[in-house]
Amino acid sequence: MTTVLLLLLLAFGAYLVAVLENWTTCGRFRLAAPVLAGIALLGRESILTRKPDRIFFEVAPVLLLLSAVLAAAVVPLTPNLIITDLATGALFINAALVYVLVALLMAGWGPDGAYAMVGGWRFLGQLIAYSMLIVMPITAVAMRAESLFTTQIVISQAQLWNVLYQPLGFVLFFIAAMALAFLPPFDLPTAKGELAGGVEAEYTGVRLAVFRLGRLALIITLAAATVIFYLGGWQGPWLPPWAWSAIKILAVTATMLLAGRMMPRIREAHLLAWCWKLGIPLALLNIFLVGVLVLVFP
Amino acid sequence: MTAQMFFIGFFGLAAVWFGVVVFRTFSMVRSALALLFSQTALGALFLTMQAEFLGVLQIMMMATEMSIMAIFMVMFMMDPGGLGEMEMTHQKRLSLGTGIVSFLAAVAVAVFVDWGPVANAAPGAAQQTVDLGLELLGRSMLIFETAGITILTAMIAATAVSINKPLDSGIRRNDGKGKASKRPANDEH
Repeated sequence: MTTVLLLLLLAFGAYLVAVLENWTTCGRFRLAAPVLAGIALLGRESILTRKPDRIFFEVAPVLLLLSAVLAAAVVPLTPNLIITDLATGALFINAALVYVLVALLMAGWGPDGAYAMVGGWRFLGQLIAYSMLIVMPITAVAMRAESLFTTQIVISQAQLWNVLYQPLGFVLFFIAAMALAFLPPFDLPTAKGELAGGVEAEYTGVRLAVFRLGRLALIITLAAATVIFYLGGWQGPWLPPWAWSAIKILAVTATMLLAGRMMPRIREAHLLAWCWKLGIPLALLNIFLVGVLVLVFP
Repeated sequence: MTAQMFFIGFFGLAAVWFGVVVFRTFSMVRSALALLFSQTALGALFLTMQAEFLGVLQIMMMATEMSIMAIFMVMFMMDPGGLGEMEMTHQKRLSLGTGIVSFLAAVAVAVFVDWGPVANAAPGAAQQTVDLGLELLGRSMLIFETAGITILTAMIAATAVSINKPLDSGIRRNDGKGKASKRPANDEH
């Protein structure tokens, strides 16, 4: 029952992300646009490239959707509204999200097209820069909560939210989450302007619909993860827990989408250099600072 | 219990099957990803045996590792796409022999070693994580953790130092005076 409810919520979240993302481009029927676009995609012919790697081509969109859904399975929206509260929850989110990389690699390699392949390899380069930045702030979060249970992590922020306790970690995690969801300005793998859609380029019809749905689910899952790790999850005054979860997740999603719009796309080499020279050392510093704080003020 | 047995068998066979696929394809990338899914099936096997931490860790680590392996294989091997039907097996006789011997050794260890009494129930997942940490590191925990962080910092520092500042045009080269010189990309002739 909870599972069905949460999956419906995830689908609704994906719909909201699609509405927000195309707010300025859809004209009058903004609220209906994603649904109509989805129906149009489902009705369209699925075109295969000339010599595709069939298995990779077919599996990639499903794997992308699956990893987003699996990561969402350990995200609590209220103290009880969670599919499964694993003892390794924080680690499990990571484990599920790493397969986004595999999915995009497959999507890039599968169709046997130049644009798609460049997109796939670009995402790999991007993630070589950012996967450590996803994990290291979560380590600091788990250090404070002294647990990997996601619910425990939320409860540990009852007095002070992690965004104030470890602001550095929050900024790094937020940026890394945007890079993982390949949102602009980190949309190197799908770059519409230069790669004609990149990994999406050869996908059409149902496969493209699943791929896009997977990406939207990924964005909302990452926003939810940011909320439970740094913004106190369901906690807040006056309103019921579910309302706080919803408000925070939507706010984070909107910030992610808006922040991307304001920046130009970053080049791969810059991305790698900045991340390894600045981002990862700062993440180590964050772990050190949180370690000292945890020891000094237990 | 029967469901658990079924899934143990299922993931075990899946791991073996993907292991076979590694040598049956003619493409580097397919081979690397088949290896990845073989390892993922092993992780799932841990999960079905209620070793949660080990399972999740295995599943998490392998995905990045195998993806990076794929990019390196494509970079360094001829014919990465497998269009020329590249053979994935090497030194067949030696590897067959090694494979059979190590399989027999593993079976012998599994059958003949005295594993002690059979555990009826696994400890809770959180308790397992604690137990595992103590079992692996014992009272040297602090030393190991410090060493781990130090090695990690050294690795990151080495990588960061070796990245040249990206330039907008041309290739940056080291002219031996500790100062990189900026030259146009096509100054070879």
